[in-house]
This record gives sequence, C-alpha cells and structure tokens, in this order.
Amino acid sequence: MDPVKKTAKELKAERRALQERQRAEKAARAAGNAAVPAKKPASGSGASTTVGSTSATSTTATPLSETAGSTKTTDSKQRHSLTKEINSKQVDMFSHLEITKGANTGLAPKEIHPAILVLGLQFSEFKICGANARCIAALTAFQKVIQDYKTPEGTTLSRHLPTHLSPQITYLVNARPMSVGMGNAIRHLKWEISTIDIEMSDDEAKKLLCEKIDNFIRDSITVADRVIVEYGLQKIQDGDVILTYARSSVVQQLLLEAHTKGIKFKVIIIDSRPRLEGKKLLNCLVNAGINCTYAFLHAVGFAMRDVSKVFLGAHAFMSNGALYSRVGTAMVAMMAKEKNIPVIICCETYKFTDKVQLDSFVMNEQGNPNDIVNISTTLAPKPGLLSEWLNKPDLKLLNLLYDLTPSKYITTVITEVGMIPCTSVPVILREYKPMVQ
Amino acid sequence: MTGPRDLNAQIESLVNRLRRRQVVGSWCVSIETAMLLRQVVSATRWNQVETLIKVVKEDVGRRLVMAQPRELAVGNIVCRVLRLIREVYNSEDATFDDNSAEDNDKDSNTDDDEKDEEIKSKSSQKIRTFSFYGGSGTGTNTQSSMINLLGDGSPMGAKRASVDDYRKPPNLKPLIISELQEMINELENTYVNIIDQAMEHIHSNEIIMTVGKSRTVEMFLKTAAKKRKFSVLVAETFPTYLGHEMALSLSEAGIDTTVISDSAIFAVMSRVNKVIMGTHAVLANGGLISVSGAQMVATAAKHHSKPVVVCTGLYKLSPLYPYDEDSFNDLVAPDPVFSFNEGDLIDKVTLLNPYYDYVSPELVSLFITNTGGHPPSYLYRLINENYDPDDTDI
Repeated sequence: MDPVKKTAKELKAERRALQERQRAEKAARAAGNAAVPAKKPASGSGASTTVGSTSATSTTATPLSETAGSTKTTDSKQRHSLTKEINSKQVDMFSHLEITKGANTGLAPKEIHPAILVLGLQFSEFKICGANARCIAALTAFQKVIQDYKTPEGTTLSRHLPTHLSPQITYLVNARPMSVGMGNAIRHLKWEISTIDIEMSDDEAKKLLCEKIDNFIRDSITVADRVIVEYGLQKIQDGDVILTYARSSVVQQLLLEAHTKGIKFKVIIIDSRPRLEGKKLLNCLVNAGINCTYAFLHAVGFAMRDVSKVFLGAHAFMSNGALYSRVGTAMVAMMAKEKNIPVIICCETYKFTDKVQLDSFVMNEQGNPNDIVNISTTLAPKPGLLSEWLNKPDLKLLNLLYDLTPSKYITTVITEVGMIPCTSVPVILREYKPMVQ
Repeated sequence: MTGPRDLNAQIESLVNRLRRRQVVGSWCVSIETAMLLRQVVSATRWNQVETLIKVVKEDVGRRLVMAQPRELAVGNIVCRVLRLIREVYNSEDATFDDNSAEDNDKDSNTDDDEKDEEIKSKSSQKIRTFSFYGGSGTGTNTQSSMINLLGDGSPMGAKRASVDDYRKPPNLKPLIISELQEMINELENTYVNIIDQAMEHIHSNEIIMTVGKSRTVEMFLKTAAKKRKFSVLVAETFPTYLGHEMALSLSEAGIDTTVISDSAIFAVMSRVNKVIMGTHAVLANGGLISVSGAQMVATAAKHHSKPVVVCTGLYKLSPLYPYDEDSFNDLVAPDPVFSFNEGDLIDKVTLLNPYYDYVSPELVSLFITNTGGHPPSYLYRLINENYDPDDTDI
C-alpha cells in the first residue's frame, strides 16, 4: 500500500510524459493509417465498443505500473497500438469476443507471483496448450503461490487466501481466457480453502491445501486418464484404422497403450492450421512405432474412406450434450457421421460444465489473426499473400480456436465413470459433483 | 491456309503444353482446344464426313486427351465438336435430300429455310428437336444415325449414297467452320452470360461463403457488389492457399471479405446464407470434381440446410460418370503438408495431399451456367444435346 502513496507525484509526471509521447506517436501514425478507421461505417459501432473496453482495462493497469521504464512503455504502446488496429478490424459476427492482448509482464501488478507471470506468458504464447496441460500447470503454479503465502495480521487464511488469489487468476485470464476445466478446478480449490479449520496453523493449512491440489490432479486427471485408457482399449481391435484430430493427451495415451498391448492398428492424424498440433502427436506415435498417416483437414473426405473409428478429445462438455473442442472437430465428427463411422470422445469428468451452448458463436475464443498470415508448416515463418492485410480496408482475418460439435454427431463418450452417451452429461454432474455447484 | 506440317506443329505444341501443365485453367484449355480443332477442320483434306470425324476423334482428340487426362475440358470440347460435325452433316443431308427429291432450288444455307423444309419433309426418320445453345436452329437426335446404320427406312437411301461423295465437301466445310466459330464465341462469352445472372441470386446483407479460387465466382461476386452490399467468407483451402488470392482480389473490389481457416467452416456455417463455389469439372450425374475442401463445405452446408450454388460454364460439363470416386483425383506433392526439413519422420509416415474432391450431386442445389440456372437433375438433358454417346470413349 505504502509505495503507491509515496510516488503519487512522480506517477503523475510519468503519466503526463507518457501521454505526450502517445500523442506524438498518434499524430505520426494518423498520417499513415488514415484509410484504416475511416472506411468502416458498418462496423464502426462494434469497433468503438471494443476499442473503448481495451482502453478502459489498460488505464486500470497503468497506474499500478510505476516500475515501467521508458523502453517498456514504448514496447507496450507498440503492442497496444497494434492490438488497437487488430481490434478495429474485428469480424462483426464475433465482436462480442475480444482478441486477448497477451501477457504483458511489464504492466503486471506488483502482487502477481512470479510463477503466475511465467505461466501467463507461456499461455499467451501457446507454449502450453491443451486443456489438461494448462490445468495441471495452473494448479502447480497455485501450489507455489500458496506455499509462499503468509496470512496477514487480523485475518484468517480461509478468508484472505481467496482474495489473494483473485488478482492472480485475473492476470491469467487476461493472458488467455480460462479453460472450462481450469475454472472447475479453481472453484474446487476455493471450496477446499473455505473448509479449512480456523484453528489450524498456517503451515499445516498450506500443507493440507497443497496435498488437496495434488489429490485433485491425481484423481481428476492422471488416474482418470488411466481409467479412460482402460475403457478405450476395449474399443480398439486388430485391423482397426483410427482417425484422430489435432492432439488430445488422452487419445495419445490411449493409442500408445494400445500399441504396447500389441494390438495391430493404423492411425490417421488430421491436422489443421494455424496451430498444427497434430505434428506433436505424429512425432510421438511414430517414435513409438505406430503406422501413421498424416493429412490436413481438406483431405478428410478422402481419408475417411478406410476409417473404422474416430477418437477425439475434448476441451469441455456442455450440459446439452454438445462437445466444445478444438476448431475443426465438428467438421471431422460430421464427416464421420456422414459415412456412419462411430465417433468416440475421451473426456474426464472435471471438464463437464453446467452451461448449455447451441452454436460456436456464443462462447468461443479468438486467437491472433496474424497467425493466418504465416503460411509455412515449419517453425520458420513465411509470410504469404496476406501480409498486408492491415492496410486493406475490406479484408479481415478470423482465427477461431474452438467450435461446438452437436450431440447428434457423437456416438459415445468415455469418461472415468464409464462409457456414457453424450446426453448423460448433466446426470453425471448431478450425481458426482453436487457439492461444488 | 496452313499446310499439314504447320498443323502438325500446332497440334504438337498444344499437346506438349497440356502435358507440362503450361495451359492453366479449364477455360483457357477449352478455347485453345476449340481453336485448334477449327484449324484441323479447315486445314485437313477430307472428302467424307467419316474421315473428318476419324481425324478429329482419333488423331487429334485422343492425343490431346491423353496429354492431360485430368483436364476433362479437353475431352468435352472434342465431343462437342464431333457432335457439331454430325449435326451439320445430318441437317445438310436432310435439306439435300429434300432438294433432290422435290426439285427445289432453295438456298439450303439459311437456317429458317432448313426448318421449314424439314417440317414439311417426307424423310420421316429424322426427328426434330430443339437445341438450346446458339448455333444451328435445329438439331437431330442421335437415333437418326442409328436408324441409318440398321438399313434405310426410306427408299431414297440408295440414291443419297450415290450423290454423297460428289456434293458434300463444298457445302459442309464452311458450315462446320461457322458452327465452330459460334462455339468459340460462346466460350469466350461464357463469363458474360454467367455474371448477368448475379443480381438474381445475391441480395443485400447476405453472408456468402466460398472456397478456393474460381475466376467465375470472382466475377460473379464483383458484378453483384456493384449494386448490392453483402459480405463474403472465404475458406483459405490450405495447402494451396487459393483462398488467400481470392480474398485479396475480392477485397480490392470493395467487398467486405473475411478469411477463415478451413477448420472454422462448420463453426461459422450457421450464419452463412448461401455457399457459392466454382468447380474444376461437372460429371454426368451432376457430381463435381472440385478443389479439395469443397466436399467439406458442401456437407456442412447440407447439415445446416444452406443452398449450395455452383457457377460454371457448360464447357466443364463432362459426359463421364464417376464409377469410382478416385479415378479423377490426383495426389500431389506432400511438401506443403510436411516439408523435407522436418526431419527423419518423412520415411516413416504416409502423407496424403489430394488435389481434388468429389462432391456428390445430392449436396448441390443449383448450377448457374451460361445457359441459365439448372438443378443437378437437368444435366442429363444438356449432355444429350451437346454430346454423342459414341464419343465418350476418347
């Protein structure tokens, strides 16, 4: 609290200097980019609301960042101006979903734990992606935060710890919107904190909480995955041709386990841009010795001919039986259904949610549109024809990250409580997780 | 005109360019083939129609088709030309018969006169039908030639045979060449006729989805954009990235364009009003051979009950049937999918990169062609009128 009061005057001076610099830069930019905002009468209202909201969040962040030196502010300003341009080119249909600004460690508030800072950066750069991986990483980081936490005078751990964790969670959400599984896990954590006995000492309580987090990871993710693999092995026979899309950690474990058991099967991996996650799965399976075919999504009709089963992973499962997963999953499920090929989803129960969703618009995530511009398949980026898209007033890029697969395309869901039809998801929620609701 | 050696050189040149895929796009291929065949008809020496048909079909036509079997437009044009030749011959034959039988001195070169003659004519084995494309005002059914083969139904058959060799060449050649010229004009005006229909199909504030890059669709949308305001979603069709070129071109014309990745097609389909796409070829059952990814788009559109409109010129309509879906497909280099510098995985992995997709006729709602809009169920009529069944084995 004290550091802020002391440097209020310095803060004001710095902010004034910042404003002068921003004004000068804007004048320079306005000459160059006069065409971009002017020719948008239709999306003008949408653009102004999104720009308004980003500037609102940024002004709440800047007063706390007295640590920012001049170089850091110009960096953040550049990224800020770029995001403003990208935001002004929002696709109307998705203007309710903001494109995340990404993690900016320079502008982070002081109380953010360094583990969370690292995590936010990893999330926004997609170094950790995949629902299970993100959840485990987030819970491990929270363990560190809890271990370093000290209850202040005059309050108890069970009351203050949640308020201490809230800004950390907000920072993570700003870096990249939280996954449904992570949301459930954090809700479970908060519930566990609230049941801590007031009499317990700090150290004991912290140790108990860390143990509870470990138990959650073990029960809901690690062991659940193993049970799912056991069930899934019943569904893979000799001579099967299995199709999978992008990279699901559970499906990967299932295929590796099936191979170790000696079942003879072939795998077709369908991949899509811009994330190209299927390559990692391909590496893993080929190194294990499985016979693999790799193709892009446009070839799914061609590849679907010989397929006997389709295994897909999930990001979340809605209460109306719809699957929320990586964008393109719905396409694969639909093509399989056209050819009457069974579609099997492997999903842990911690990903089930009460929400209902009918299409891919209501809740989704937009990634950075610049990812579409790069057309190479290797790590070295190769800009394609669209590298000047920001300068073309009528051209927009849309980079969706998730989509919704309607329940009619799904044959069965394998969870750790058994193999259920996708319409039984609300039943599972009711039976097994009444306490967390 | 040009001697036979020059003609051979021209044929060789087109064959080589087809083989090396230096002629790109069905439209260019069609026009070049049509012009070459016009040269063939005018430069070759022929006394009987059968000779001409043999030259066009076997000597020239087969070589062209073999040079690039995937380019179905070549075969289509050859079939069209053969059909034209036979029609001109048959209609000339009829007027000649009538002329000799009734001893009239009418000028048999005018279309109207021919029509009148044939309606009054006594040679009843000729069945008159209307043909819907420009060119001769009357057409003859192929059944007439079959009846002739089985033996003449009329007593004039023998007489006709004796005067055939004598009278044919001076009349037929200019007629055939003028018909061919009309066909070439029709080909050149294909785009004009298609884009004239743009205003009927696109309305304000529509969201249209398209896939790949088609010159026809591009012109179609640009024409509509002059008067209507709508937006377009372009699927980028990796790994060919044709969608990127299309989006650039459309946005330069002032159309509100958004590029989406192929994986998002199902996700956004619920907001799309209609799907408009081009195609590489149309098969006899109404199915399409289109750019890879079209099958996905059409299936997704069917699941959301959105109409799928295909803009194509009639020269892409092929009389072949897709008995096997794969017979028209090409697997091209997998480098864009998984490049060499990815390492040693390449030996252990099978890579698939099909260039074309087969879209079944149930997924297509409407064909917009230079002769108007047709449902897929009507295509068999167009094939009957434009092609002969004996020619499909080129």
